[in-house]
Amino acid sequence: MYTRKAMSKIQRISLYLLILIAGAAWIAASADTSNATAATAAPQVGFAAPDFTLKTPDGEEYTLSELKGSAVLVNLWATWCPPCRAEMPAIEKMYQEYKDQGLVVLAVDMTYQDNPADVAPFIQEYGLTFPILLDETGAVGGMYQLRSLPSSYFIDRFGIIQEVVIGGPMSEALLRTRIEQILE
Amino acid sequence: MLTLFRNLFSPPRHMILLLLAAWIGLTLAEKRTERYGVSKDDLNNLTYYGLLAFVIGGRLSFVLQNMPAFLKSPLGILSVNPDIFDPLGGMAVAVITAVVYGQRRGLKLWNSLDALTPFFAILSIGIGLSHLAAGTAFGLETDAAWGINLWNATRHPTQIYETAASLLIFGLVWLQKQNPLSGIHFLTYAALTAAAQLFIQAFHGDSALIFDGLRQGQVMAWISLAIIFVLLEYRLKENHEG
Repeated sequence: MYTRKAMSKIQRISLYLLILIAGAAWIAASADTSNATAATAAPQVGFAAPDFTLKTPDGEEYTLSELKGSAVLVNLWATWCPPCRAEMPAIEKMYQEYKDQGLVVLAVDMTYQDNPADVAPFIQEYGLTFPILLDETGAVGGMYQLRSLPSSYFIDRFGIIQEVVIGGPMSEALLRTRIEQILE
Repeated sequence: MLTLFRNLFSPPRHMILLLLAAWIGLTLAEKRTERYGVSKDDLNNLTYYGLLAFVIGGRLSFVLQNMPAFLKSPLGILSVNPDIFDPLGGMAVAVITAVVYGQRRGLKLWNSLDALTPFFAILSIGIGLSHLAAGTAFGLETDAAWGINLWNATRHPTQIYETAASLLIFGLVWLQKQNPLSGIHFLTYAALTAAAQLFIQAFHGDSALIFDGLRQGQVMAWISLAIIFVLLEYRLKENHEG
């Protein structure tokens, strides 16, 4: 009858060493010196933020890529979305506090799934001073692969997304930690 | 299929997968816990306190690391937003809590870890699936036929590799004959998981790099594997002497 014999200590240690040497070789072979993600645009941490050009209700045009050098918070929202409404006062407060240090807030209304007539009263109601942009075709919602509202993208001075916060409302403290990170 | 899955469990709903995995893992661990000399009540309490400590500890750790921001708006500590969380800090607090509970109840460390192994193994599957749903832990670009379209490129489906490896490891540890030597069951699971991470991390597109290009995740997995081998020898020696 065949019986399996337990490995001796020497056999086991040889096996461990073999595995560790093979592991070290695999680590060396799979080393990565490129920074491939930063060159690609995608709505995820580590990637370049997808570029867009949109207008405010007054017709003023903003292009994200022209804001390189500034830290940018892109907030996707809609007037009917309760957490979007709830976080707007905190975003406004943080904008006032950090705009002189180079923070730009672009609040993109998902106009294609919103009532455009509600946007101006919303801006008035919350006393928003940062640019509110209108995504009338859903192009930005599509580029940012929008699944939940609100969605916020914290973009550093080089145009790279450093943090993504899906859902809300974001508290002042969370906004402050993320903003200070992209202003560094 | 993949799109449907990602839409269904898109963040923050991907956390449902983690909760589901924790529940299934605990149910399975409960079935075999008495083999390892740990009662069902102790296993449930250990897991319950550990998870509670993970949640509270993760929040507190994040707050402590960003104290100036929270001093300016202290109510932010109670915010419902799950992004106010530090998983490593949470894990540290969970481990400390579990050790304290185990000591108070007189539980043996290695037996408790053996009893918890199915819980850890199923949780690893849940983590892989939640990565897939959120699109995190994504892969390098590839021309391979099995690549998935993610973040505007065809990429290695590292989340699927991770889930498949975790499933395989769960199968191996679940079907493994009961080992009379305490700690071996858990250390086998830990060694397989570290080895799988060491292999799969090579295909990741989001690796933190250290020492001019080495992937931090792989280096951590390699160090873990070395420590696990030392612990395996230590357990075999202890068990034979015992």
